[in-house]
Amino acid sequence: MRYFLQRGGWFALTLWAAITLNFLLPRMMPGSPADAAIAKLSQNGPVTEETRRAVEAQLGVPDGSLIQQYVDYLRQILSLDFGVSYAFYPEPVSGLVAQALPYTLVLVGLVTIASFVIGTLLGVLAAWRRGTWMDALPTVGGSFLTTFPYFWTSLLLLFFLGYVAHLFPTFGAFSATTQPGLDWGTVVDAVYHAALPATTMLITSLGGWVLGMRNAMITTLGEDHVTFAEANGIPGRTVALKYAARNAILPNLTGFGMALGGVVGGSILVEQVFGYPGIGFLLFNAVTGQDYPLMQAIFLMITVSVLVANLLVDILYGILDPRTRR
Amino acid sequence: MTGTETTTGPRDTPGGEAPLLSVRDLSVVYEPVGATPTRAVKDVSFDVGRGEFLGLVGESGSGKSTLGFAITALARPPARIEGGRILFGDVDIASMDHEQLRTQRQGGFAMVLQAGMNTLNPVRTIRQHFGDIFAAHRHVAPARREARAAELVRRVSLGPEVLDRYPFELSGGMRQRVTIALALSLEPQLMVFDEPTTALDVLVQHAVMDTIRALQAEEGFTAILISHDLGVVLESAHRVLVMREGRIVEDAPSADILHRPQHEYTRMLLSHFADPRAEHVSLPGIEAPEPAADGPDGPDAPAADGPDGPDAPAADGPDAPAADAAAADAPAADGPGRRRPGAGLELRVEGVTKSFAPPRRRAAGVLAVDDVSFTLAPGGATALVGQSGSGKSTLAKMITGVEKPTAGTIHLGSTSIGPLRGRALRELRRTVQMVFQDPYSALNPLSTVEYTLTRALANLTDLRGPALRRRMLELLETVGLTPVEQYAAKLPHQLSGGQRQRVVIARALAADPQVIIADEPVSMLDVSLRAGVLALLRDLRERTGMSLLYITHDLLSARLITDDILVLHEGRVVEQGPTAQVMRHPRDEYTIRLLEAIPDPARVHGA
Repeated sequence: MRYFLQRGGWFALTLWAAITLNFLLPRMMPGSPADAAIAKLSQNGPVTEETRRAVEAQLGVPDGSLIQQYVDYLRQILSLDFGVSYAFYPEPVSGLVAQALPYTLVLVGLVTIASFVIGTLLGVLAAWRRGTWMDALPTVGGSFLTTFPYFWTSLLLLFFLGYVAHLFPTFGAFSATTQPGLDWGTVVDAVYHAALPATTMLITSLGGWVLGMRNAMITTLGEDHVTFAEANGIPGRTVALKYAARNAILPNLTGFGMALGGVVGGSILVEQVFGYPGIGFLLFNAVTGQDYPLMQAIFLMITVSVLVANLLVDILYGILDPRTRR
Repeated sequence: MTGTETTTGPRDTPGGEAPLLSVRDLSVVYEPVGATPTRAVKDVSFDVGRGEFLGLVGESGSGKSTLGFAITALARPPARIEGGRILFGDVDIASMDHEQLRTQRQGGFAMVLQAGMNTLNPVRTIRQHFGDIFAAHRHVAPARREARAAELVRRVSLGPEVLDRYPFELSGGMRQRVTIALALSLEPQLMVFDEPTTALDVLVQHAVMDTIRALQAEEGFTAILISHDLGVVLESAHRVLVMREGRIVEDAPSADILHRPQHEYTRMLLSHFADPRAEHVSLPGIEAPEPAADGPDGPDAPAADGPDGPDAPAADGPDAPAADAAAADAPAADGPGRRRPGAGLELRVEGVTKSFAPPRRRAAGVLAVDDVSFTLAPGGATALVGQSGSGKSTLAKMITGVEKPTAGTIHLGSTSIGPLRGRALRELRRTVQMVFQDPYSALNPLSTVEYTLTRALANLTDLRGPALRRRMLELLETVGLTPVEQYAAKLPHQLSGGQRQRVVIARALAADPQVIIADEPVSMLDVSLRAGVLALLRDLRERTGMSLLYITHDLLSARLITDDILVLHEGRVVEQGPTAQVMRHPRDEYTIRLLEAIPDPARVHGA
């Protein structure tokens, strides 16, 4: 219990630090979006004080003391008000993010979880049957596929399965004719559109989990408590799962936490190549369109979700490894 | 058991009863991928009768553990049984399939592994460990399992509350007891103990061995005790097998091994075993090099004739015992050790106390060292003796300036060590050097001996270029690693444990230290190598005039190389005085217990 409270406390502290840094850093940087806009305007002639104020008001340049700004900032965060997007004016940032988030969560989230589960299971199998084809196939195959770059795999799949064979759509999350809703047809259509990006991510991320789990478990299998369990006649399946895999999964879990935290950031490359309207796609547009409020909101969201994922892993670790509870 | 009555079994034991275990011409080979195979066990044959307590003794690399794993059918690749038979009762264990082997582990043969952190699964409670075994064999009805587990831990002198604990919440001795209880839960006919007490403290070791002996007498199982410690084995076993380089060189009742050893190797092992309480104590390595063919690990005594070029061809292989004894006894003033003119600073420890902050609020702080005072004269040798947790290592850390005392002062000559910072502390490191316990981890496996020593010299002295290299070779010669050029080019894994420890000592000597703190420098080494390293330490002290603070739990080695002794118990000095006197006439109750925990085969088998 003590351990969990401690973890929770640390989480709150880091979260506050991250939010505050997100507030302070842009204010410590020289220049502002308003300055940039005014500098651009001034190339066409002198800028009047009135124009300057208008630009600043439009871009929401803050006034008041730093503390006042900080309080306002915190209040806005709590009410999820991140201002208005520049690139998609006058859409509010929160609305844009809310639209994109489900796509990313479902696509990248499910793929990350599936990749971890499948990869870890294959790793366990490979370690337990090491030296056989059940070891060689996932290990060699996995590392082979992992060496392909994301975009190359996705372009390859797009070209052959989408463009040449017409088996899968090449763009978007839905057919142009489908009205998003919660009926069966929509789900089928969504899955159909997600198939190629999901496959791309699965192919490129699976190998890492396989290798990580296999190597950790082979180390564990060499430990004395496994030999002792065998000496006590404990059946192979119990030894493999409760004595080897159970202990070896702990380091892999940390990696999983990191990966989960990164889910919210989406997968910029994959979403870009497949024109998938997730957070990665949005972030890319925000950067190219110099959309500061949108960028800041997405960055904050990524930071927070990495922290939350780490907290979850910490808690899980506490449950799985009694040694950390002390 | 799926035993079939056969008459073609092995020869009967003297009692006329068929032996429980019969090993015939057993060979085990290690076949690592991409390396040359080595035969660890060579044509070994022996019988073990029912209810017998057999000892299996040998040094590291003798194949004793490999043999233990083979007879419990736990040999795994790269180890492979190359030939011979292992008959358990009437069944050749090679003929059993995987599942037969697994099921017979209940009521068959069990193995207790070397006491370490890892014999138990760190993420399962002790109760779950018992539960897994009961579930695997179903030999205890589910309703009775809890009571049976509690009974088993009671048999090894533990309370039922340990069942709720995780392994990391238990001490090393308790973990080993749990391991024994788990093996016992299988109700085995044969129990193999592989170094069951090696990593444990002397007193705990003694208590665990008592438990094993008592259990064996009560339960009547057959026991095989594998150990490198001849004393422990002789004290417990009825019969002893002495193993060397994969072969059994002697097989005789314990009393015969002790009083009438036949094989030269057995005699050598026995000669390294002495009682520190005796009036006169000597080991072969201290006064004469051991006859073992360990080459440079025997003291080569380059001291008498001084530095005569780095490639002294004479110093190849062990010298004649007599010549070496003379060399070790004569303090050579101009040997390569270079006695520093006017060397010798007194180390004075006065009322030193160290307490550590409590791990959490409301918990009590730890008083690691409590009001310790002693003086180490220039050229003197003092032993710090005590169990782990007695504060001896903390004391060493304070003397090297790594830890600051909470109270009291430590002076080296006129310098107070406590307040030293930065440059002055570096200066101190030149004067006070440490030799660590584990020569395997004290050296960087990727650096040659030359690089290791050169780095130390470059860090601690002003020597550069050819002078630096000359000094490096000189150091190797000082520690008896000749021919020096050859040893300079070697990597740690190409050296034996004793040779590695010599490199570690050479590194410590790099800056001509005044004080050497040796923390258990021989506890990881085989007995036949220990004497050589001990002799080197004593010899260096005599030649260079440095003083030695020797930290150990091994009273015999303390008796051999130190003049004075401090017995530490829970941070306090419980006894202090000349080493020989304290060992011969101990006054404190704790010292007496330490001395009594030393295995004493003579007590069992008569003087």
